[in-house]
Amino acid sequence: MSGGGIARGRLAEERKSWRKNHPHGFVARPDNAPDGSLDLMVWKCIIPGKPGTDWEGGFFPLTLHFSEDYPSKPPKCKFPQGFFHPNVYPSGTVCLSILNEDYGWRPAITVKQILVGIQDLLDQPNPADPAQTDGYQLFVQDPTEYRRRVRQQSKLYPPTL
Amino acid sequence: MDTIEVSNLNRQFLFRQSHVGQSKAKVARDAVLRFRPHISITPYHANVKDSNFNVNFFKQFNVVLNGLDNLDARRHVNRLCLAAEVPLVESGTTGFLGQVTVHVKGKTECYECQPKPAPKTYPVCTITSTPSKFVHCIVWAKDLLFAKLFGDKNQENDLNVRSNDSCSSSENKNNVFERSDDEDWEQYGRRIYDHVFGYNIELALSDEETWKNRTKPRPMYSRDVLPDKMTQQNGNADKTDDLSPASAMASLGLKNPQDIWCLMENTRVFLEALKLFFTSRKKEIGNLSIAGNIVHAVATTNAIVAGLIVIEAIKVLKKDGCYRMTYCLEHPSKKMLLMPVEPFEPNKSCCVCSQTPLSLEINTHRSKLRDFVEKIVKAKLGMNSPLIMCGLALLYEVGDDLEKDMIENYTANLEKVLSELPSPVTGGTMLTVEDLQQEFTCNIYIKHREEFDEEKEPDEMVLSGWTQAPPEKKDDKTSNGNGASTSKKDIEVKEISDGTASPGKKRKLPEFSEGCTLDQSNDADETMNHKKIQKLDDDDDDLVMLDHWGKDTSKKQRSQ
Repeated sequence: MSGGGIARGRLAEERKSWRKNHPHGFVARPDNAPDGSLDLMVWKCIIPGKPGTDWEGGFFPLTLHFSEDYPSKPPKCKFPQGFFHPNVYPSGTVCLSILNEDYGWRPAITVKQILVGIQDLLDQPNPADPAQTDGYQLFVQDPTEYRRRVRQQSKLYPPTL
Repeated sequence: MDTIEVSNLNRQFLFRQSHVGQSKAKVARDAVLRFRPHISITPYHANVKDSNFNVNFFKQFNVVLNGLDNLDARRHVNRLCLAAEVPLVESGTTGFLGQVTVHVKGKTECYECQPKPAPKTYPVCTITSTPSKFVHCIVWAKDLLFAKLFGDKNQENDLNVRSNDSCSSSENKNNVFERSDDEDWEQYGRRIYDHVFGYNIELALSDEETWKNRTKPRPMYSRDVLPDKMTQQNGNADKTDDLSPASAMASLGLKNPQDIWCLMENTRVFLEALKLFFTSRKKEIGNLSIAGNIVHAVATTNAIVAGLIVIEAIKVLKKDGCYRMTYCLEHPSKKMLLMPVEPFEPNKSCCVCSQTPLSLEINTHRSKLRDFVEKIVKAKLGMNSPLIMCGLALLYEVGDDLEKDMIENYTANLEKVLSELPSPVTGGTMLTVEDLQQEFTCNIYIKHREEFDEEKEPDEMVLSGWTQAPPEKKDDKTSNGNGASTSKKDIEVKEISDGTASPGKKRKLPEFSEGCTLDQSNDADETMNHKKIQKLDDDDDDLVMLDHWGKDTSKKQRSQ
């Protein structure tokens, strides 16, 4: 069987293990395509902002795009376009070491670890690795304005229920 | 989940009359603690298929001892033991027959490496229209009529398949089995009687073609058999004692259960039983076992098998390696009643412990996903919480954890024919079916086929590569399929002497036993010096764990 078989098997495992147990407030599920099929290659997720941080109260939608080479290669993780965060590209793609196959990615990293890792990143941006000007510059030059923007963004993503 | 019944007391020697109605697991624990006070036993009065008894639960044990009474639970535990890599000592008895087998992943064959007798199924049309064997009548009575009268009203029931054809409104057909307010019990009973034994038979007769080579049945009406009112015939018909168990025989004054009843007596019992079942408390009915297993449990066989379980368990714990599968025979072979056999190696084409794709012939334009789930995934593969995938698309999942919109999506999928699913399933498609709890994955290669033989392939599906043996032809003997799900299009009845495994194959196997339950083999503690042991106890479901062996005990035993 091709690489797709390995990806499929692993994604099925990830799906099962997520269904059995996952961190509170997080959502991760295969994407509901318009034709009614559920695609294991695309997961729609929600990451809750950590309590006690400016991200609290926000439930941030994130999409995981897996490839046929998963888990040799990491999934691409995307917030909505224009998401405000120093380590998120204008396209919404998250820049994080564990999601980079040349750095921290290991095939053993689970969906759960990815999502928790991104939740941590929200409040602990990495200024050494900026991905957008807006978020990066405010973060290093104007912390007050940066925090205001973060809190404003958190209000934009209320709980979906 | 099993509780103690009076009929258990002759052989399940840990139980006394005062325990009747209590949990087997709990009472067994208390009984064992009385003669082994220093060991630790955790009883679970629960279903072994519950999701909390998952792979991690199984991983904490050094060995698992099965004392189950049905194929379904046995397969489930087998898969969990394989996934958790815990040795399994499996056992069963049926009358004089019994066997103990040892299953160690990668070393010996797993429980499902060899064909197991599948529960016999009967096509609904045979049962309702052209019954030819005694067993057909029992199945009709138990799974159709009884279910219709006393079971879940919403459950699909094929009792009236024929009469439904004559496009009577659904309103109408329900009314036949409902008692109206102005009817007394006898009128109601007679109406049911006339409907199922008179009207339905006449309907069946109207199809001339059916009876060309068959003996025609004769419609019966209660007025012809029993012209007078019941109350005139026995004085105590009105006396309903709510506390005594419902027994039509008792209230009709019939004493000897071995008597063969004439038609009139049968009719009276029918009418009386109907009334009693309706007027007595529902709970009581639920507890009555209907058309039970007719193989008598033999205490000696159970004791021998319990002993053998312990012997094998000790070997497992000592990592001895010289395991034996032992069969109890009914007739001596070379003057021996016990036949030990060396365990076989895992079957490389076993779908449970190895990874070989199965193939399924099915009409992808006609069969629905629901048919596939019910008849293949659940009935044949024995899965509990399946996930069905077509390539990278999820077609079906089940579970309480799913979001509402997903459940709606999957429910909609169930009603779709395979070729019209969001990810079409057609000839050449590979489906992957996994179970959320069993850690068991199956690949199924789909072959489209247009026509199926109605008689031989009533499911309109043919699964090959699965080790499950086709049901045996002899169906003169039956027992109630313990735990087998019924009331679907096909009706299952378990063969008793599951005449079994693979006759004519490499080994001569005495009959495999599924039917019966083993008693508590409490003596499991005698020589073990390992810290934990588990026994899956009795009718499907109860678990008993023994752990933390007292230090004293284990030392003493080592020195023996």
